[in-house]
Amino acid sequence: MSQFDIEFTFDDNTITASPGQSVGAALLAANLRSLGQTRFNKNKRGVFCGIGVCFDCLVVVDGIANQRACIVEAKSGMKVQTQVGSNA
Amino acid sequence: MHNVVIIGAGPAGLSASLAAAAAGAPVLLIDSNPRLGGQYWRMSADDFQDQHNQHFDLDTGLLLINAVKARKEIEVWSGAQIWSATNKDGKNTLRIIYQGKERIVNTENLILCTGAYDRTLPFPGWDIPGVMTPGGVQSLLKGHGVLAGRRVVVAGSGPFLLPVAAGVIKAGGSVVALLEASKSRRWLTSFFVLLENISKIKEAFYYIKTISEAKVRARFGQAVIAAHAASNGELESVDIAKIDRNFRIKKVQNIKCDVAAIGWGFTADTSLAGSLGCNQLVAKDDGVVVWVDGEQQTSIPGVFAAGEITGIGGSDLSMAEGVIAGISAAKFVGCNVEVLKAHRKRRAKRQRFANALIRAYPIKPGWKSWLKDETIICRCEEVCLSDLKHSINELGATDSRTAKLLTRCGMGLCQGRICGRFVVDLVANELNLSPTDTDRISAVNRPIITPIPLGVLALGE
Ligand SMILES: Cc1cc2nc3c(=O)[nH]c(=O)nc-3n(C[C@H](O)[C@H](O)[C@H](O)COP(=O)(O)OP(=O)(O)OC[C@H]3O[C@@H](n4cnc5c(N)ncnc54)[C@H](O)[C@@H]3O)c2cc1C
Ligand code: FES
Repeated sequence: MSQFDIEFTFDDNTITASPGQSVGAALLAANLRSLGQTRFNKNKRGVFCGIGVCFDCLVVVDGIANQRACIVEAKSGMKVQTQVGSNA
Repeated sequence: MHNVVIIGAGPAGLSASLAAAAAGAPVLLIDSNPRLGGQYWRMSADDFQDQHNQHFDLDTGLLLINAVKARKEIEVWSGAQIWSATNKDGKNTLRIIYQGKERIVNTENLILCTGAYDRTLPFPGWDIPGVMTPGGVQSLLKGHGVLAGRRVVVAGSGPFLLPVAAGVIKAGGSVVALLEASKSRRWLTSFFVLLENISKIKEAFYYIKTISEAKVRARFGQAVIAAHAASNGELESVDIAKIDRNFRIKKVQNIKCDVAAIGWGFTADTSLAGSLGCNQLVAKDDGVVVWVDGEQQTSIPGVFAAGEITGIGGSDLSMAEGVIAGISAAKFVGCNVEVLKAHRKRRAKRQRFANALIRAYPIKPGWKSWLKDETIICRCEEVCLSDLKHSINELGATDSRTAKLLTRCGMGLCQGRICGRFVVDLVANELNLSPTDTDRISAVNRPIITPIPLGVLALGE
């Protein structure tokens, strides 16, 4: 679709993104649908509402937990991690 | 110093900004999105791709956006998240995270245009990755150029399913099923309203053309009633059912898909208005909205509201209300302007269309029969239906507020935005009661508008 100028990591994977894309969108484009696991049942969760409302897409970005992947803009060199429960 | 502070840069907020600025009032326009346009005119970063492909009428949006950018009386804060709003002695205090720092804005004159988000209903498996809202699928397409999956089921109710299905097809995906829970014929009863809102009909046919060219046929009176995961925990298939007039299941069929986009219209985001103390009421679709008078003024003098938060009605109604709110707010701060008769007529016409929509797409109580005891109700706190029933039948909860306290249902990070609306129905159903307006309004009470990661707040100091 367009040039992929941005590279970040998601756990052990290198992900490419276009300028302005969210972390969640770039992960879905790479066919990664599960972003984290729930606190109690350890069920997988992914992007649900896509607009920052549901808090289902939580990931750890550069060490800060509880970030919504669907609205955090992807930046080069970002270190994104799966979030398990309410913290990493 | 700004005379009018406007929150939300969708169709309502953009129209309000232009109207207030034209009347001579300096405006501060605040939105959490990085770009102007709100939900309807959501766009990707500049030069990303042909943006028109995913839009019916981006030109109107671009016209408004460019006009807002061109007016020097309008200062724009994009990417600014308001996380707290309070009203004391006529002064409104907004706490905003903007450019990594916390800013505090005090103002007497506000226009709230905070819009809406997808209305959801729970069903077995709705928490599996791959199950999404139609708005989520569309925002990935419009805002990021990403198709959420190749084989997509689009289901639920309401006209919004059409642009979402068309968007998936245009992006190269296949819509393996398009299901509308209601029966189609109700539209004919509103023939006059359709005629006077002909542009909306054109928009519908624009989407239907794309859908029928792809040989996708919408099926009426059908719904997704369960989703199933593969061994990797991600969506593999959904059960779709023929349902009767009350949404009770008649006949079930399983269908494979990567993504299921399921939504039931919209829920107004009244969090900000609620925390300021604006009066709210229950609309005909049982959703809670902000009360306004004919000038779009809320119960707090000087605080106005426009767009979806005053009642779900689509982008045209939002614009019509935005213009009136902008003029009224400018008048409030001393500008010499009046709302014209033509403005009110335009709003009334679009309101009639919105009312017809609500009549055409009713959500019937039978959806509750799709749930199982172990179905997740509150996604954040992982509360299932049996927990809710236990709080009522064993612990003695007699209203949704108590059930919430006993189960933590609706007390997670989303603060009940997703489950709050239907938990009221589930609790009342278990108690054999009808939900009261007080039940519904108390379910949308949120002291904090958006929880923000601690790291961000620390940066502001
Ligand atoms: C995901 C989605 C997609 C939609 N797509 C369509 C479509 O294709 N066609 C259609 O006819 N209708 C669509 N709608 C319906 C839509 O709500 C209306 O048509 C129209 O966008 C409403 O305009 P509005 O100005 O009232 O609100 P919106 O367009 O929703 O704008 C509200 C704005 O307020 C901002 N905001 C809210 N709270 C805060 C806060 N606390 N701090 C800072 N900013 C805040 C939001 O970021 C948003 O930009 C969609 C709705 C959603 C949720
Ligand atoms: S998907 Fe809902 S907040 Fe990100």
